[in-house]
Amino acid sequence: MRTSLIETARIENWLFEAGSTEERLLMEAQALTNAELREHITWQSKTYHLIEEYGREKLRAEIRAVEQELFQSSKFSSFRIKILSIFNRKK
Amino acid sequence: MSAVVEEVNVATRKEIIINWYQRAFPILADYIRKGGGDLEQAREIFQEAVVIYYEKSLQKEFSQEKDDKAYLFGIGRNLWRKHLRQTRHTVELQGHDLAEERDQKPLTTKILRFLQQNGEKCMNLLQAYYYEKLPMAQLADRFGYGSERSATVQKYKCLEKIRDQIKLKSLRYEDFLD
Repeated sequence: MRTSLIETARIENWLFEAGSTEERLLMEAQALTNAELREHITWQSKTYHLIEEYGREKLRAEIRAVEQELFQSSKFSSFRIKILSIFNRKK
Repeated sequence: MSAVVEEVNVATRKEIIINWYQRAFPILADYIRKGGGDLEQAREIFQEAVVIYYEKSLQKEFSQEKDDKAYLFGIGRNLWRKHLRQTRHTVELQGHDLAEERDQKPLTTKILRFLQQNGEKCMNLLQAYYYEKLPMAQLADRFGYGSERSATVQKYKCLEKIRDQIKLKSLRYEDFLD
């Protein structure tokens, strides 16, 4: 792997608390004196957050598609009737 | 990978989600109706319960002590109670739009839209690994890489590319700081 990718992997290990104690301490020491590394750590951390949001959005889209099928396909008419009957009951 | 969601391809996940709806949605819907909710609210609450349960099921430490029906109902019930508390709070603070305050971080949404349009291939690979927790061998298979090693290198290339894109876009949207 090229040098920058090795650094990306090291940052990942540090953020996910993986790797050896020695490696973690080395990373922390380097971050103290290397502003570019600190910046990469900050943005990589934000990137994981956005990847999670992206994955969640994709999952929500899948769930909505499933729900639509459950409420519209004749294959699931008994399910639909069951749910609608719950909301048609008198309170 | 947990026992609940062992296979992570879309078709299998669809079957799992259908099963969750059929088993757990009726009892949650009944609970929400009794609490004054309507079908639309029940649907929204259950969607979020499925997201939460799915994410829990992917965690290494997840152990399926209860059956999925009880688990999903429990999550849904908590979400509904939280919704009721927030609704009451909003009514008490009339004029203060809490819904708007809670709602999203628009800049995150903006960046996500940008990445969907400009880095979709990389984002799909990254979310498969970091969100779906797909093992590297399956990741290589799904995205057509010859080996786990190639997939690993590609994953880091994508991570670096997306990180730099996020930085670039965020600095343009100055106040994007979660």
